[in-house]
Amino acid sequence: MSQLFRPWRDQTFQLLAAALAIAAFALVTMILLRAELENRFAVQTAEALGGDLVLSGSREPDAVQRAIFTSQAFTSQAGRYTQLIDFSTVLVQEDNILLVSARAVDASYPLYGNISIAHNRFDSAIAINTGPKPGEVWVDNQVLDRLSIQVGESITIGRKALTISTLIRQLPDQSAGFYSMNPRIVFNQVDLESTGVIGPGARLHHHVMLSADKEALATIKLKLDKHLRPDQNIETTDNAAIRSMGPLRQLTLWANLAVLLISLLCGAAIYLATAQRVRQRARLAGLLRTFGARRYQIIGRLLGSEFLAVLPAALLGTSLGIIGIFGLKYLLGWDGSLAASPGDWLALIFSPIVLWAAFALPRLSALVRVPAIEVLRQGNRQAAFSVQTELLAVLAGPILLASFLTRSFADLGQLVLLLILLAALLPAILWPLLKVLDLLSRAFPIALRLALRRLARRPYLTLPLMASLTLAMAILALAGHTGSGLLDNWRTTLPEKAPNHFVLNLYDQDLPAYRQWLSDHQARSQALYPVVRGRLTEINGKPVREAVSKENKAGNRHLNRDLVLTEANDLPASNIIVEGQWKTPNNASASVSTSVNTSFNTSINTVSVEQKLAERMGLKLGDKLQFVTSRGKLEPTITSIREVDWNSFAPNFYFMFNEGSLKNEDITWLTSFWLSEGDGKRLAELIQHLPQITLLDVSVLLDKTQKIVSQASRAAGLIALLLMFSALLVLSSAVLGSQAQRGRDNALLRTLGAKHHLLRRVAWLEFLILSGSAALGATLLTFAALYPIGKQLLIGTSQVSPWLLLPTALAIIVAIGGVALSRQALNTPPLDLLRREQY
Amino acid sequence: MSNTPLLEARKLGKRVSGPEGELVLLEDINFTLFPGQSLAITGPSGSGKSTLLGLLAGLDSPSSGEVLINNERFSHLPEDERAQRRGDLCSFVFQDFHLVNDLNALENVMLPLELKGTPERESIARRCLAQVGLSERAKHFPTTLSGGEQQRVALARAFAVNPRLLFADEPTGSLDHANGARVIELLFALNRHTDNKDNANKTNGAALILVTHDAQLAARCEFHLRLEAGRIYQVPTDAYPRTTDTL
Repeated sequence: MSQLFRPWRDQTFQLLAAALAIAAFALVTMILLRAELENRFAVQTAEALGGDLVLSGSREPDAVQRAIFTSQAFTSQAGRYTQLIDFSTVLVQEDNILLVSARAVDASYPLYGNISIAHNRFDSAIAINTGPKPGEVWVDNQVLDRLSIQVGESITIGRKALTISTLIRQLPDQSAGFYSMNPRIVFNQVDLESTGVIGPGARLHHHVMLSADKEALATIKLKLDKHLRPDQNIETTDNAAIRSMGPLRQLTLWANLAVLLISLLCGAAIYLATAQRVRQRARLAGLLRTFGARRYQIIGRLLGSEFLAVLPAALLGTSLGIIGIFGLKYLLGWDGSLAASPGDWLALIFSPIVLWAAFALPRLSALVRVPAIEVLRQGNRQAAFSVQTELLAVLAGPILLASFLTRSFADLGQLVLLLILLAALLPAILWPLLKVLDLLSRAFPIALRLALRRLARRPYLTLPLMASLTLAMAILALAGHTGSGLLDNWRTTLPEKAPNHFVLNLYDQDLPAYRQWLSDHQARSQALYPVVRGRLTEINGKPVREAVSKENKAGNRHLNRDLVLTEANDLPASNIIVEGQWKTPNNASASVSTSVNTSFNTSINTVSVEQKLAERMGLKLGDKLQFVTSRGKLEPTITSIREVDWNSFAPNFYFMFNEGSLKNEDITWLTSFWLSEGDGKRLAELIQHLPQITLLDVSVLLDKTQKIVSQASRAAGLIALLLMFSALLVLSSAVLGSQAQRGRDNALLRTLGAKHHLLRRVAWLEFLILSGSAALGATLLTFAALYPIGKQLLIGTSQVSPWLLLPTALAIIVAIGGVALSRQALNTPPLDLLRREQY
Repeated sequence: MSNTPLLEARKLGKRVSGPEGELVLLEDINFTLFPGQSLAITGPSGSGKSTLLGLLAGLDSPSSGEVLINNERFSHLPEDERAQRRGDLCSFVFQDFHLVNDLNALENVMLPLELKGTPERESIARRCLAQVGLSERAKHFPTTLSGGEQQRVALARAFAVNPRLLFADEPTGSLDHANGARVIELLFALNRHTDNKDNANKTNGAALILVTHDAQLAARCEFHLRLEAGRIYQVPTDAYPRTTDTL
C-alpha cells in the first residue's frame, strides 16, 4: 500500500494526479450530464410519441406480434404497453353533425406523461394519468361549442351513447402539428365494439405503445421487425422525428462538442504534467538499466507503479463528478436517480484511464527506452520519445474517446476532424510568428526579450498550451455565440407573449368582429393566412402515386389527405429559404396551367415547399405540381424550398403559394393570438360571436416548451462554465509543471542582479504574449469555424456578435491567472541555487 | 593595493527555526578581504559553507552581524538594491552550472550584460567564450554541451561583467578530474586578468571566494577558512585574511 502512494510524495506526480483527477471530474460530469439531458429529452420524446416504441398500422397487431409484447419475457422486465385506435367519425347531436378525430384507449393509457383536462369549458387545467372510464367520453372544447352541448350530457358515437365527463386540454402525445384540425374525442376501448363504428372498410390507425428499458426495447424491436407487415411501421425515441427537431438536438450536439473539448483540454493537462514527470524519472530509468533491469522490469516498476498510483486520482475525480452531478440535479430541480446506462457507467469508469493511456502512456513509455548511460549525464535528462507514437496517440485518443463518450461519432466526425486539423494548424501558424518575434527580439527591451525567449525556446510547453488555450477560447466564443443565438432564437420564437391560441375557419365576413374582439381584450394577433384545402394529385404531369418512389414511403401520408395550402407575400420569420428564391423576378414564366378541364380554375403561380417534405417526396426546384381544390386545380411550379422552425408556435405550412394564387379559391383564414391568462369569459365571448371558428388552446404545450427551454439554457450555461474551468486547469497544469524551472530561472536572474519588478514584467509579458497569441488564433478559428459549426448548431446565426471579443477578454483573465500561479516561482530566493540539487 | 576592504564579514550569524527549536547554521564569522585576494572556504557537508557564501553574496539575510562591500552595509540593503549591487560587482560559478536552458551559450554569457544594459554585450560575450575555448559552440544550447563545456560557459558568463567579487560554489564538483583541472586553470587565469577599469584603485583582478571540498584547490587560494558546525574551526595563521594583507 505504501508503494501505491509513494509517487504521491513527488510534486510532479501530484501535478499529474491533479490533472487526471480534474480530467476524471470533467469527463464524469459531462457523461452523467449528457445522460441526464438525453434522458430528459428521451422522456419528452417518449411523452410526445406516447411510448419508447410505437407500432402503428391500419390493422390490429397479429397474434404473433401480440404474443411478443404480452410475453412474460417482456412484462417481467418492467415492460408495459398500451393499445389505442385512432379513427375519424361523426358526432350527431340533434341537427348538428361534427367530424371528429376519435381515440379509443385501454386502461393503461397513457404510458408516459399526463393528460391535461378540465371539468368545465373555462376551468383551469388539471393533470391526470388515466384515461376515460367505460361509458364516458372526453371531448375537446370545440365539440361543446359546435354541438351546443354541455359537460354531463350524453352524445352518441355510432350506436352507443356516452356521457361527456371531461374536457381535453392536452394529450401527452398530442402533436402540435396541423394534420388533424378536427376536434378530438377520447373514450374507453371497452365501448368501441358497441358503437359499431369499426365495421369493414373503416379507416383505423392501430397503435401499440411500449415502454421498457433500452435493452428490452432493443430485443423486442428486433422481434417485431421480423414480423412487421407492409401497413405497419415502428417508431422509437431514437428515430422519432421530434428528436431531430429544434432545441433538443441543438443542445445535444452542443453537449457532445463540449465533451470533445474537455477531453482535449484534460489530455493537454495530463500531457504537460507527464512530460515533467518523465524528465524527472529518466535518471531512475537509466539507473535501473545500469543494474541490469530488463524492459519488462522497467515497465513493471515505473509504468506499473505510475498506473497504480494514478488510480486513486481517477477515483477521486470520478467520485467528485458523481457528487457534482447530484448537486446539479438538486440545483436544477431534476428529480429521480441518475439516468446513466450501464454503458455510461463503463465509459465513466474507464474514460479517465483511456485518457491517461492516450496522453500519458506514450510519453511514459519513453522511460523504457532510456539508455543506461543516462545515469552518467548531468543536468537535464532527456528520454527518447517516439514522435510517431505520441502523435498517433494524441490524435487518436480524443477521437476514440469522443466517439466512445458521445456515441454519435457520425455527427461529430466532421467537427472532430476540423478541430484536430485546426489544433495542428494553429500552432503551425502561430509558432513561426513567435519565432520571428524571437529573432527580432534583440531590438526589444530586456523584459520582452526574456519573455519571448521563454516561450519560443520551450516548444514542448508553449505549443500544447497555446493549442489548448486557442481551442478553449475558440469553443467558448463559439459556444457563447451560438448559445446566445440559440437563446435569442428561442426568445424570438417563444417570446413572453408567444401566441397561445390558434383560430381556424375564420371567414372574410368574420374578420371585423374578430379584430374588434382582439382590440377589446388586448389580445395580440399574428398574421392572417388564407387557407385552402387541396389534395396533391400530380408531380410533373405524372399521377402522384407513380411519381413518388417506394423508398419515399414516409411521404405517402401527405398523398392521402387534404393538405392545408396558403399564400403569402412575405416569408414568415420562422422560415428560411434554403434553395431557390422566395419571390421570383417573373412569376409569369414559372408555370402556365394546361388543364384540359376548362371548368376548373387555372392560374399562374409558384409555390414554396417545406424542406423535409420535399426530401421525403423527392420534390425539387422547377417541379410542376397539381393540386385539386374545391374550385378546380392549382398548378404551381416549385421556386423555393424552405426550412421551417416547427417549434415557433406560429402558423407554419408545407406549401406556400405566391400572393394572389388562391384568390379564386374558397378560402378561410387561419391565425394565432396571445391572450393574457384570466377567466375564460373572453374566449366564450369570441365563440359566441363567431360560433363556426375552431379555437385551439396551446398554452399548456407552450408552458411545457418554455419550461424545457429554461432548463436547457441553464444546463448550457453550466456546461460553458465547466469548459472554462477545464481551460483554466490546463493553464494551471502547464504553469505548475514548469514552476521549478521558472523558479530556477528567476533565482538565477536575481543572482545576476535582476530586480524583482523585472521578473514580474517578464512574467506578465510571457503570459500576455501566450494568451494574446491564443486569443488571436481563437478569434481566427471562431471566424473560420463559425460558418460550418453555426450552420450545424443553429439555423441562421448572425456571424458577428460581441462573443467574438470573448477570446480577448479571456486572454486577460488567463494572463492574470498565469502570473498569479507563477507567484511562487517569482519569489524563489536566489539562495536556492546553492541549496537545491535538482530542479 | 587598495587600503579599502572590498568585502568584510562582521560577527556574521545565521539561525533558523527547526522542529527541535532554533538551529545555528553560522555563528560569529569575521574576516576581511581586499581586492584581488582569494579565499577558500572548506568544511564538511552541513558545516555552513553554502550558507556563508549566500550571506556574503547577499542571496540571504543574516540573523546577526553584517556584510560590508566597499564599506557599505550590503547585507542591510533592501533586496532589490542588493540585487543591483550584485549585478554591478559580483559574479557566480555554481556546481550545477545553472545555465538557462532556453538560451544558447552566447546568450547565456550575454545575460548578465543584458541585465546591466551593456551596449556591446555580444562582442564581449564572444570574446569571453573565445577565452574559455568555446567560440565554436556559441550557438549550442546547454543540453547539447558536456558538463565541462557548460562550466566553461558559466565561467565566461561570470567574467563577462568584469566582477570585483567572484563567488564559486564547488566549481569542479560536477566535473571529472581533467575537466575540473581545466576549469580551475581558467578560473584563476581569468581572475588574474580581470581588469576593473571602473575601479579608481586599479587591482590585478577580482577577489575570489571559493567554496570547495578539494584540499588541493583550496591550497591554491591565498587564504583558507575552514568551517565546522557553523563556526570557523581552523585558520592557518599564514593564510588568515587580514585587513593589512596584500597579494
